[in-house]
Amino acid sequence: MRRSQHASGPRIGLGRGTDNAVPLADIRVGLHIAALVPREGGIAIEKLGSSPLIINGDSVDYARLNPGDEILLGPYRIEILPPPEGCDGAIQIELVQPMGAALERLSAGARIGLERTGASKRIYAWTGFVVIAVICLAVPIIFYSGGYMQPWSKQATNPKFPQLVGLSWNAGTFSNAHRFFAADCKTCHQGAFAAIPDNACLSCHAKVGNHVMHHVKLGAVGEELASLRCVDCHSEHRGIEGSVIREAHLCLGCHRNLADRAPAAEVRDIGGWPQGHPQFRATLVADAAKGATMRAELGTSPPPMDHPGIKFSHAAHLVKGGFPALGYKEMACADCHVAEPSGQSYLPITYKKQCESCHELSFDKVALPWPDAKVPHGDDVGVIAAVWNYYAGLALRGGAAAAPIPAAAPADRRGAGMPAPPAAAPPPGDTQGWVTAKSLEALRIVFDERRGCAYCHNSTAADGAWNTDKILAGALPPKADPPHVVAPVMLRTRFLPNARFDHASHRGMDCEDCHASRTAQTSGEVLIPGVDNCVKCHGGEKASLQAQSTCITCHIFHRSEFGAMRMTAGATP
Amino acid sequence: MSVSEPVSAPGAADLRPTRHESFLAFDRFRFLKWAVILVALAIVMYLLVRPYGRPYGGGWTGYTLGTVGALLILWLTWFGYRKRSYTENAGRLAARLSAHVYLGIALFFVATLHTGFHFGWNVHTLAYALMCIVIASGIYGVYAYVRYPRQMTENRESMTTVQMLGRIAGIDDELRGVAMPLDDATVAVVERAITDTAVGGSAWRQLSGRYPGCTTAMAIAHMEAHAREVAPANADAWRQTRLKLEEKGAVLQRIRADIRYKALMEVWLYLHVPLTFALLAALTAHIISVFFL
Repeated sequence: MRRSQHASGPRIGLGRGTDNAVPLADIRVGLHIAALVPREGGIAIEKLGSSPLIINGDSVDYARLNPGDEILLGPYRIEILPPPEGCDGAIQIELVQPMGAALERLSAGARIGLERTGASKRIYAWTGFVVIAVICLAVPIIFYSGGYMQPWSKQATNPKFPQLVGLSWNAGTFSNAHRFFAADCKTCHQGAFAAIPDNACLSCHAKVGNHVMHHVKLGAVGEELASLRCVDCHSEHRGIEGSVIREAHLCLGCHRNLADRAPAAEVRDIGGWPQGHPQFRATLVADAAKGATMRAELGTSPPPMDHPGIKFSHAAHLVKGGFPALGYKEMACADCHVAEPSGQSYLPITYKKQCESCHELSFDKVALPWPDAKVPHGDDVGVIAAVWNYYAGLALRGGAAAAPIPAAAPADRRGAGMPAPPAAAPPPGDTQGWVTAKSLEALRIVFDERRGCAYCHNSTAADGAWNTDKILAGALPPKADPPHVVAPVMLRTRFLPNARFDHASHRGMDCEDCHASRTAQTSGEVLIPGVDNCVKCHGGEKASLQAQSTCITCHIFHRSEFGAMRMTAGATP
Repeated sequence: MSVSEPVSAPGAADLRPTRHESFLAFDRFRFLKWAVILVALAIVMYLLVRPYGRPYGGGWTGYTLGTVGALLILWLTWFGYRKRSYTENAGRLAARLSAHVYLGIALFFVATLHTGFHFGWNVHTLAYALMCIVIASGIYGVYAYVRYPRQMTENRESMTTVQMLGRIAGIDDELRGVAMPLDDATVAVVERAITDTAVGGSAWRQLSGRYPGCTTAMAIAHMEAHAREVAPANADAWRQTRLKLEEKGAVLQRIRADIRYKALMEVWLYLHVPLTFALLAALTAHIISVFFL
């Protein structure tokens, strides 16, 4: 097919584009491949784009064209003809390389695009969806519902695979204490889409202590407390440290205003720690004779006084240099205060263990084949009989003849204001008289108003003073049921019973860092430090330069002394 | 398509992006602002509303972030479905794409806060990991969409793939002509270069643009090696053949680079789409497992 066309303009474009003055309808040709421009009465060609422009066998970018020139433009051959009248130039275009089988073959062999490599997004997508839905969703549900997962028990050993399946659903790090049964979901998760029942917890923690005493009526607060479920405060899967919530505001939610809401609880409002925590209240002895205690705020002026019923001076015992005249070295706290095995607190102070080694109760120095003549400690009603029995025994061994009572008691045994010893010595041969006289002589020292019992103890008299004559009047020979002479003693081992102080975790400190024992002259002075002492080291729960401390650092929620929690928590076994 | 290109200011009502506006800069970065606000809110909530103990997926913050994250995943997936529909007008599409990118990135932060930074070998972390891979592949996709079209255009020089193939076919035809007088061995390699032209192929070939057994390169190497053995009468045909082969090599290089750019621009979808489906399954398992037990 041959046709001719007239084109005019400053540039005659050649190319595939239909906007070219001379369109070349072949896909192998660029959109704008070349342009003819008038030049010096003739025409020239200018290459556009990247396709090579070959004129008479040479690849050029620009060339003046003369009739007879041959241009190869892709599959086209362009021949320059002599220009007709009124035209700058004339060309003849011929498609010399028709697109043949080459392109079809090439197109068929080319695999362009990833979708032609056999990869299918759709297949991959549905495969991934199904695989994960089966492994991560269907299998665990089947294992759980089908009974493959058994609650942990001491007897049964669960197969490993169901445990592994269960672990694939594990919502977070198990607490260390629960790990040994944690792979068996059903131990705690007893029903699908159901919260953990308290019974799941109580099956192991049946004896967990209550928070309040059962008989205390707390009204709405009590109901609130009773409605709490274990998981309200304890959440598992929250880290190896454990499932105990440590945040103060869990406690403060109630304790911020308990004084008004539950006055029966007799607790003061707490705003936080260290700010907002009231001064400690110590439990002190109010009356040792009656066994009565009292709660007294520390740090008041005048300071609260304890009434343990004993005369004791920490300051006197801790005197620098000790007691060289008596051969005793300087004392240290640990000489008397012995930690219990856990190290948390100290064993009770007893005469036998702490006092006797220095404060012996011997009342005579006669060498005997039986133990020394000692007043029995802790048995004040037996003292008179013990002394009498001692001298009676001595008399039986002929002691009465060997040691007659001198006419007058030695002056150096008498202190100022002391009652005089019996004026008359019993006649020789009066053994009972001798025993009585010797006993009285010893008992006058034992019941002296400064030495003997009185050195540490109050008497049973109302004012606690020692009236030796009154005690000894008619006391000998011993009676069957003599009256008490020594007032009861009550030494507390815990002064802050609502808190838990662990001495062991403070063992790096010196006792005197907290206890002002060197200046305590009387047993009434309370050596328990106040809150101001604790806040020196213990900051709030987010403290960065102090020990982080929260309510449960010192206080325990579940108080075993209040009975079992399940009795109020609405949980039935 | 680049974030560095100047952004024109379309009217609020006119959702159609201007010709040179990137989807990233759509409506003056409207969705970037949304995403930043969303992430900021999530961080504030994470810091202020703390559950008892260490932060975790539960509690007020955990459930809120989890719900937002799950809804984002569903919405973003829905977008992927709608994007394939050509009934959308271009402006709407640009808006959706812009939102998809920015909210997808925001999802990463929301979901990370939802984890409370607890990870383990379980279905929950599996869902998170799948989500991270989907987001990372999407970010690569954005990079590819920003970077490769320009390189592709520069490489193509306004030719289409079919044009390039046509050019190769033309050169093949020419080669058949010019190589005619050459010796048998050379004609054989030339003929092999003509009949056995690798364009595209395996995923690795498409992605790497490397064609180790390229017959054209082998033919050129053959002619290089035997250049001295050419009979003087054949010198011109030899030179023409050599030139045609080199021209074919250049076009092949160009079309293979073009294929490589195309592959690089779509390969991420082979992670993005299937893993989104896997993620949907894992997300379902995650949500059900949390409330089932």
